[in-house]
Amino acid sequence: MNIFERLQMLDRRWIFLVVAVAIIVPLIIPFNSKTYTTEPTEKLYRIIDSFAPGPDEKPIEKDRALLLVFTHDASTMPELFPMEIAILRHCFARNIKVFTLTFLPSAAPIMDYAINTVKEEFPHVKSGEHYVNFGYKIGALMLPIILGMGEDISEAVDIDAEGRKLSSLPIMKNIKNYNEMNLIMDFSGSSAGGAWIVYARSKFGANVGAGVTAVMAADEYPYLQTGQLTGMLAGLKGAAEYEKLVEVFALKKREFSRELLKDPEYDNAITNPDIPYKFKQARIGMNAQSVAHIMIIVFILIGNIGYFITKYKEKQQG
Amino acid sequence: MFEMISNWVAAFLTLCIFSFLYKDNPFYKFAEYLFIGVTAGYTIPLTWEMAFIPYVYRPLFLQHKFILLIPAFIGILYIFTFNRKLNWLSRYPIAFGMGMVGMGVPLSMHASVLVQMRGAMIPIENINALLVFIGTITILLYFYFSKAHTGAYGKIVKVGIWYMMIGFGASFGYTVMARISLLIGRVQFLVADVLHIIK
Repeated sequence: MNIFERLQMLDRRWIFLVVAVAIIVPLIIPFNSKTYTTEPTEKLYRIIDSFAPGPDEKPIEKDRALLLVFTHDASTMPELFPMEIAILRHCFARNIKVFTLTFLPSAAPIMDYAINTVKEEFPHVKSGEHYVNFGYKIGALMLPIILGMGEDISEAVDIDAEGRKLSSLPIMKNIKNYNEMNLIMDFSGSSAGGAWIVYARSKFGANVGAGVTAVMAADEYPYLQTGQLTGMLAGLKGAAEYEKLVEVFALKKREFSRELLKDPEYDNAITNPDIPYKFKQARIGMNAQSVAHIMIIVFILIGNIGYFITKYKEKQQG
Repeated sequence: MFEMISNWVAAFLTLCIFSFLYKDNPFYKFAEYLFIGVTAGYTIPLTWEMAFIPYVYRPLFLQHKFILLIPAFIGILYIFTFNRKLNWLSRYPIAFGMGMVGMGVPLSMHASVLVQMRGAMIPIENINALLVFIGTITILLYFYFSKAHTGAYGKIVKVGIWYMMIGFGASFGYTVMARISLLIGRVQFLVADVLHIIK
């Protein structure tokens, strides 16, 4: 029995073990790798950044806001949570008005966790002034709320997660409907974000962005091609790209520039001890992802070579 | 202190689930059942608090909006789905639900069909547009079953199959990426939040 024949009969638990090692080692021993930003991510970043108040403008007066919709539970958190964190960090760093909402009971604590995690980094950020958590609304109200927000957000949502009347909150000044809350970003591991395209975009012309798990990315690309999706973050890769943009531009209060992104300095973030782990979590994750992908490619090649050699031998023998 | 305890409980349950990779065992079963129980236990009071209290109890009993008795009654009919003789009553709330779906049909047609079709009817000005054009035509021809897939027609249709195979390959690649990401997320939790190996 040659090595390929032995590999054909290898207990799959050995493969699990090798994959586990391939993931654990790059996480424990980080190394620098390039994070290329793609157009769908850059487009999202730029539109969200355009909602930031100007230097002479009071944040509370700004007539632009972003809605983040959490449509996922803990099972897809590894891919979607880093995106949510990165976007919230962008909003808080640039004083962009941000709303959060969910129609899933299991997403409500994730939403709170995301806000509280990022809020710790920005002591000036206050609920009701810089952000509002609309909270969990029952799924049956999804359609009336999506359509209602096209007319009047304060009326459609009524109260926030803390039980306050939306109309009484300072953040709602100059924000009435989708004309002002001009981008809806849905995070999901399914096609749930489609409802925003169908109702909020088709009927009211709102911009819709998607943060999806990698499994769903291929399904969403046609909508991106036709412009029905303004931008998209696909899986952990999308999160890593956005994380880099936030680090290079938003946290340093810089305008977006492709030239600046080419600076090799920003590819050394992973091993830079001055940058805390939470600011580069997705990019470190992508290192492990790359190693695991190479491992899987090698497995597929070995498996196929073994298959063809075995088949060839069988043919020779009889 | 609380965070430390909750992290260790989460770490223990993560390892219980991972133990299935070796073989099925009581630790895995325990974590699985616990997850189902916790999810149901969490959803029921949350729905009570966020749905029943603000949309039924408060308007009906405190604000005396008695018109809400009608939708509340229709909603209660759902419960007859468990009764073999009276389960026909549960079809009425379902009918209302279907009505809501019907409302979305014209807008869905617009977003999912018409705009997407318009996106495929762009001038062939570059290589991408040409590839999209060839792919759209050949795949549509593949799904035309009133003509046998033989001869020249069969060869054109085969191009459509190749396009679909590449599409499935991309989807599968993304699926692998997603599954690996889930594992990375758990390992990051174990090494960073629980063991504090990375900071």
